[in-house]
Amino acid sequence: MFTIYSLKHTQVAKPSDTNREYEMMKDDVMRLRAQANRVATGCLRAGRALVLGLVMLGSATGTALADRAVIAIGNAFDNLDPHQVFDVGRVASRLNLYDGLLRWEDNPPVLEPWLAESYEISEDGKTYTFTLREGAIFHDGTPITAEDVAWSMDRILGINKGAASLFVDVIEPGSTRALDARTVQFNLSKPSAIFLATVPEIHVVNMDLVKEHIVDDDWGQAWLSGHEAGSGSYALKRYDPAIGFQGERFAEHFIPWGEKYLDEVEFRYVMELNSRILGLIAGDFQVTDAYMPYDQIKRLEESGTVDINEQESMRIFYGVIHNNRAPMNDINFRKAINYAFDYDSFINDINSGSVARDPLPMPGNIWGAPSDVEGYSYDIEKAKEYMAKVEEPVRELTIGTITGYSTTEEAAALLQAGLAELGVPSKIVSDPFTVLNARSMDEQNTYDIYFTWKSTYYADPHNWVGELYSSSTIGSRNNSYYSNPDVDKLLDRALISTSMEERRGLYEDAARMVVDDAAGLFIYNTKWFGPTSKDLKGQRFSPIGNGLEARWMYRE
Amino acid sequence: MKLLVILVNRLAWLIPTVFGLMAITFAITHIIPADPVAAVIGENASPEQVAALKEKLGLDKPLVEQFVIYLTGLLRGDFGISLYTQRPISEDLFARVPATIELSVVTLFVAIAAGIPVGVISAVHRNSLLDHALRIFTVSGLAIASFWLAILFQLFFSMYLGWTPLQGRVDGWGPDPITGFFIVDALIIGDFEMLGDVLAHMVLPVLTMAYPAMATIVRFTRAGVLEAISSNFVMYESAMGFPRRVIIWKYVLRSALIGTVTQIGLIFGILIANSVVVETVFDWPGIGRYAVDSILNSDYNGVMGFAVFTGVIFILINALVDILHGLIDPRETR
Repeated sequence: MFTIYSLKHTQVAKPSDTNREYEMMKDDVMRLRAQANRVATGCLRAGRALVLGLVMLGSATGTALADRAVIAIGNAFDNLDPHQVFDVGRVASRLNLYDGLLRWEDNPPVLEPWLAESYEISEDGKTYTFTLREGAIFHDGTPITAEDVAWSMDRILGINKGAASLFVDVIEPGSTRALDARTVQFNLSKPSAIFLATVPEIHVVNMDLVKEHIVDDDWGQAWLSGHEAGSGSYALKRYDPAIGFQGERFAEHFIPWGEKYLDEVEFRYVMELNSRILGLIAGDFQVTDAYMPYDQIKRLEESGTVDINEQESMRIFYGVIHNNRAPMNDINFRKAINYAFDYDSFINDINSGSVARDPLPMPGNIWGAPSDVEGYSYDIEKAKEYMAKVEEPVRELTIGTITGYSTTEEAAALLQAGLAELGVPSKIVSDPFTVLNARSMDEQNTYDIYFTWKSTYYADPHNWVGELYSSSTIGSRNNSYYSNPDVDKLLDRALISTSMEERRGLYEDAARMVVDDAAGLFIYNTKWFGPTSKDLKGQRFSPIGNGLEARWMYRE
Repeated sequence: MKLLVILVNRLAWLIPTVFGLMAITFAITHIIPADPVAAVIGENASPEQVAALKEKLGLDKPLVEQFVIYLTGLLRGDFGISLYTQRPISEDLFARVPATIELSVVTLFVAIAAGIPVGVISAVHRNSLLDHALRIFTVSGLAIASFWLAILFQLFFSMYLGWTPLQGRVDGWGPDPITGFFIVDALIIGDFEMLGDVLAHMVLPVLTMAYPAMATIVRFTRAGVLEAISSNFVMYESAMGFPRRVIIWKYVLRSALIGTVTQIGLIFGILIANSVVVETVFDWPGIGRYAVDSILNSDYNGVMGFAVFTGVIFILINALVDILHGLIDPRETR
């Protein structure tokens, strides 16, 4: 038997088999031709399928509904539970699927009645009583009651994640009471002037529905991370943590709908900034998140298919200086640092003027921000004067930046250049956010200086100067390890005062003192650029919601 | 019989290999001074809140104890809970696996279908202008960074020519999952419009991933064919008057494919690992993008789940390659 499989077999072949081999060879040729034909036909079919696919794609993209919008976000919607997540990146699921008693709208933010039609505050500032709107219902048609609100508050405290940090110090579990079906009372353990500002974060969940899915006393966390039990303007239609979520307009929502709206909205997770930008230009998306380098904003503007809605936001960029470590514990050294940073170059050259200079430990456009503080400017001679007063020996400083956030790296490089002029050596360390976050909470291991942003979680000066520079938050939000009893007195008083005018003055004074102490390197307040497709209208921007509340949007 | 021995041997090595992989990945992820709990709980959380959650998740225990707990869970098929999404890792992973496998299989098919013929042609026309041109093409395929190529493809084919979709696996949400493989699901429900849409969305990610894979296949096929061509059996067949086409495409190719098949096995594993980059650029909801999310969020369990999954796939494919070797080259099993 003659088979050609290997060298071994060819070696045993005999010349006398020539005729048989020729016949076999003919068979081989025929088989090969048949195989080639089959392959060619297969390739043609596959090619045709591909072409067909491309053609069909064109028709499929053309069927996009006029009352539908796709919003591309750089954060994954990997958990829909409004009580487990509290970051700005995932705000869209909370705002669109759920409701709170009050809601921040517009810029500057105004606290509007939402699920609650009215509220009363007791004279001692410890009891807040809200009356719910009549006829408000959840997506499953059941009425929203005061009991749902009280249970939601307890759930936030019980889970102890997300927005719980806003309430744990002032509300005891079980202290929130439903007085009747439409009246709910919050009983604070001590007065808190910021409580009202944080009420929008008490997202109300359908108690009965969530209770059905509680496993091992988990408050229904496992279930609600992938499902929805709200009353928001959109009801969850489809959810895939790898893609995002799709919401269907909830026509029975307690806030009457306007004449124009989106019937369906899709929030899609698109990790890459470049992909979000290209998708917006190509018309795959109608909205994308707005915080991006200015060259990308220009790129969108120049595309001709995108509108940019510019507004000054409330998100400060600043350098966190370790105030409790030598030589930064010397006010002269901190002032030298503040005079060694080239603010103009950073804002006008590196950021092309796309941000607003802000010399304060709070956004310059919020109440309580003093208007008479000029802050520091780039002045190497002054910096040298202050350096001359520093008694501690100069050592190499560590400047921390967030990996992937070029703004922090650019600021660090600019500061490094300024410090070099003062003869202060420094090294830049870039860490992922989780690493930077962990290090910043450890007084011994944190950087000498690092750059970061502080966003709006609630529109009150306390969100910035109070959280960042009060001794009571050292190690958590106060990562400067700055402690000034005079500032603490002002902040403590501002936290319990029920007089808006008094609070304004207290925060203005506190901000002045923090700047005088050069406790941080305050650089800019962010601008929000809100890129949308030209046919999408109605977007309302609030620094808390980042313009992602879809109920105001429509397409023309 | 020898095939069986090879298979058993490979599977026996699976356990220590996966254990080693897990130990290394566990050590690396936990040594990094990141705090996933702080990321989960939010930047406003107090140290008390962070400590309470750490205790609840067992992250306050010694590292070795945490590893033992993880291994014990894994033996029960429990990959743990994602620190970031708060869902079971197995649920997160298996929801995304079909997207990655589908992309990798189609890529491999394209790379083989293009790479083997090109490799043979390159070898047959050794040192010709065509060979040199193909060499430049293949070296480029190995040298060009995937993320750069992906963006280039997007700009040219999607934005400039408008031929292909820019990103995503399908327009909108795709078919209701039956198998999770959109091509299969679209065929099962008989939705050919959907099938076309799915195929169109695969074009750019497949091209991006197939180019370097194809380059490897071309190089190995070319080398294998050149070696086989100089063998005595080829000389004999030529002397016997066999058409050159039959000699090359049937007999030489079969002999030359042994090295290529080894590479194809490795390539499939590498494709799954490479999906990390391509899925990120093309917004492909597979395990690659999940791995990136897990790394960025310091989600230890998510990273471990990805590493274990890809490691096991890699090892199983290598076992499969050994079996294929035996089938292609009977000497291997004697």
